[in-house]
Amino acid sequence: MTGPGDLPEAATRRLESGSFSSGLTVPDFGACLQMGLRPVGLVQGFCAMQWSWYGAGSPYMRGTSPYGTSDGGQGAYSQSWRCPHGLVSAEHRAWGQNYEQTWVESAWLQGFGSAYGRLIEEAKEVGAHGIIGVTDTSHNLADMNVTEFHMLGTAVVVEDAPAPPGGDPWSTYLAGQRLAKLIEAGFMPISVIAGIASVRVWAYCMTEYLMEGRVGTYGWGGATSTQEIEQVSEGHLAARALAREHVRRQLGSDMLHGVSITTAEREVGSGDQVLECTLRGTRVRRFKGFDPMPTPRPTVRLS
Amino acid sequence: MSSPTDLPKDAESRLAELGHGFFTSDLSVNEFLLVKETGFHPLGFVMGSSIYHTGIQGRRWSKSQELSKLTEAMYNARELAMTRMEEEADELGADGIVGVRLDVNYYEWGSDAAEFIALGTAVKAEDGKSYRNKQGKPFTSDLSGQDFWTIMQTGYVPQGLVMGTCVYHIAHRGLGQTLGSVGQNIELPNFTQALYEARELAMTRMQDEGNTLGATGIVGVRLEEKSHQWGSHTIEFLAIGTAVTKSAGDVTLPRPTVIISLDN
Repeated sequence: MTGPGDLPEAATRRLESGSFSSGLTVPDFGACLQMGLRPVGLVQGFCAMQWSWYGAGSPYMRGTSPYGTSDGGQGAYSQSWRCPHGLVSAEHRAWGQNYEQTWVESAWLQGFGSAYGRLIEEAKEVGAHGIIGVTDTSHNLADMNVTEFHMLGTAVVVEDAPAPPGGDPWSTYLAGQRLAKLIEAGFMPISVIAGIASVRVWAYCMTEYLMEGRVGTYGWGGATSTQEIEQVSEGHLAARALAREHVRRQLGSDMLHGVSITTAEREVGSGDQVLECTLRGTRVRRFKGFDPMPTPRPTVRLS
Repeated sequence: MSSPTDLPKDAESRLAELGHGFFTSDLSVNEFLLVKETGFHPLGFVMGSSIYHTGIQGRRWSKSQELSKLTEAMYNARELAMTRMEEEADELGADGIVGVRLDVNYYEWGSDAAEFIALGTAVKAEDGKSYRNKQGKPFTSDLSGQDFWTIMQTGYVPQGLVMGTCVYHIAHRGLGQTLGSVGQNIELPNFTQALYEARELAMTRMQDEGNTLGATGIVGVRLEEKSHQWGSHTIEFLAIGTAVTKSAGDVTLPRPTVIISLDN
């Protein structure tokens, strides 16, 4: 299933039938009609990806230089730490490293991108101008190493507007009054945008001890001192910065609205982690000057 | 219990006591006021139930496929519960049922048996016009009182709660397949296709129900995925929403007022 024209047969059958379906709640549906948008169909895109973590929990991967991987997977970020203790032992982690896992990022992008592409394709099939109220989820399937990406949205046409030109329909995570407010403020949604950054943290001795709560056991670092785990902090900072950078690259001269940023931590060994930072939002473009809103009326709820 | 007069005796005596202006409902106070504002009066709390033995169906370990017997069972069981609820509403002379909830319960005493239950509040129009759907049955909808008011202002009238379901078995991956792609992050087209197909089938079936009711469209579609008690490789995809038709009425939904809440 690559490229256009790869929708399942049931999709084509469903989208051809005359009536519309929409995933909008009634208030969102009402707001949609008020804006002059007519829902034409619930559209979706889906992609199942095999997912694996390189060397997850494997002792054999320790100490393997990521520079040597055949993926050429060295990204924009890498940082090393050296043991301050001067100990030489096979069990003592004398060095640690953080680096960007570009191969994970590109696999994620492929999954997200395919699901998005199919969503757009379904919307084109029903002749939509745009897709509102998009949701995107990804979760593991039936305890296999399979991650499924699923996108869902409501395709709409703009009432009394000419048929959409050949290009892709616009898309947005917003729906209802939130979308109405955006348009009132003079912005049009262009597309949903998401970016991910994946950072691998190979712990060095200090990080390992701090993460395991073993500081003090060997008389290093003070018995119960509260201190920053620098390697992990740096990893988080880098993951966020990279995710922002990846999204910025897709933005062009447009703006990003309604951004959410989340970081998932996955423990893959003692002190070792994979940090996954996801950033999503709606790319918007100004199409008219700001209309002043009516003056809000102050209210107090009696219930 | 065979339709259409398959309601228990107790139901009939309970429903007979209603009327004379006395009503029961599970609407909140706000919902009650809004339903009245829309021009409807609640008649009574109605329900329908069906205990269904869902059984099992042979599935091929390594093949992704629809389990049509289970699909049928899940579908029929819900349909029975809904029909009985509609019959109760019919007894009350209702025009429709709002706030419908459709639940599945499992009990310890019956393995493989599930209770499908439909609950809602039967309502009747105060202007004497009939709001029954194309099939002459009371309309059903899972809209809350607030949503019911809003949808009526947009010039759409609910016709029925429509659903489509598809029970799908997802193949296990063979050792060879797994080994063949170890350490790669790649799309698995077979899985994509299978799950995609399953969801589309559920949606198509829901839309077919909407078309039978002559609906213009379906609002508030939810897509639920549950494994019930079948294990993680068998999933039910359920699409459910309220079918609506455009009535002659225009959109009378007023432009919302901008407010600023002085509560915390």
